Amino acid sequence: MMAEVVDTPTAILAHAAAALREHPFDDIPYRTVGDAVGVSERTVYRHFPTRSHLLEGVAGWIESTEFPLPPFVTIAEFQQAARGRFLAFDAAPAFAFVCARAASISPTGEPEPTFFTRALVAMLATNHPSLNERDLRRVAATLRYFASAQFWARMRTGFEMSAPAIADVFDRTVATALGDLPTRTGTVSQPASA
Amino acid sequence: MTAAAIPEPEGEVSRTQEAILAAYAELIEELGTDDVSFRLIARRAGVGERTIFRNYATKVDLLLATAAWIEIRIFPRQDSPSIFDMPLTIRAAMDSYDRRPELAHVVAETTMRGISGAAPSPRRAMLEEMIDAEISPLEDAERTAIVAALAHLDSAATWVTLRREFGMSRSDIADAAAWAAEAVLDPIRSRVVAR
Repeated sequence: MMAEVVDTPTAILAHAAAALREHPFDDIPYRTVGDAVGVSERTVYRHFPTRSHLLEGVAGWIESTEFPLPPFVTIAEFQQAARGRFLAFDAAPAFAFVCARAASISPTGEPEPTFFTRALVAMLATNHPSLNERDLRRVAATLRYFASAQFWARMRTGFEMSAPAIADVFDRTVATALGDLPTRTGTVSQPASA
Repeated sequence: MTAAAIPEPEGEVSRTQEAILAAYAELIEELGTDDVSFRLIARRAGVGERTIFRNYATKVDLLLATAAWIEIRIFPRQDSPSIFDMPLTIRAAMDSYDRRPELAHVVAETTMRGISGAAPSPRRAMLEEMIDAEISPLEDAERTAIVAALAHLDSAATWVTLRREFGMSRSDIADAAAWAAEAVLDPIRSRVVAR
């Protein structure tokens, strides 16, 4: 990764993410990151004027490089994808907590749905075409929120759970949220949960 | 109805600390978390800067204490006798988060910092007590899943996610969060024990 030619902001984010191995996010010095990239501290500030900007940037970089989302077109595949991410979060907790934090702060720019949210809404609309807009949105919101790094973080810290247990709670919640929604074939949906 | 008996964070908060935490919460709403200096907080609270340092050695310590104070004082939950009141409790909580968005974000973010952050599920024990008192014995896995799901929904991060990822309005967020809690409770509705 580092051997590739990347633009300055991306290089800053890659080095800031690497610094998470040694420092908590709030203690990562702008100056050290600038030195590692070969730019001044001022340049780092120009790209990321506040810690919130840096947090969002680092989380975005981590999401795309460390926790890529596998494609899913069915509920079962979506649940597999979520389980896989919980396992990846367990393997790199410092990274996952940064993603959970970034998803919770007051957004620095105009907030817009992540790719994950759009993919999930599209998948549900395809699998449950007769669902009205309001039901679609609240089912999607529930599934999205329970598949998040925030859910992983709360389960890990507040409930001392590891990824397999977290995925089990997730699967049960998906099953309750989908309940007896009509599916494409008109039968009751069968979420792939325990 | 009285305010819920939520444990105080890390012991009692003194009157001086209360003044500091309230001042910082006010300034966060006015300026955000980035631009607030200890000096400004001291002036607003009517104490010396050294008094703040004596109580909260670092900015992070102060932020975490303030977040816990905000959750208890600004976003208190009503005491509910039944687990089946949780959808209503969650609906009211979402409404109150939406009225103080800056503070809701602070609460949400500080609970996502792992063990060095604010407690992410302060009402877990209360939920466990309610479910044990009201529902005939459940399998461990089912009991844990219901408590965990309700704890996750009854939080500022729910409001943040529904606002940010789905652009929902105040009433849509309250509806969606309460609906999800109802769905979580559905499997145990028939298992209430007579008392």
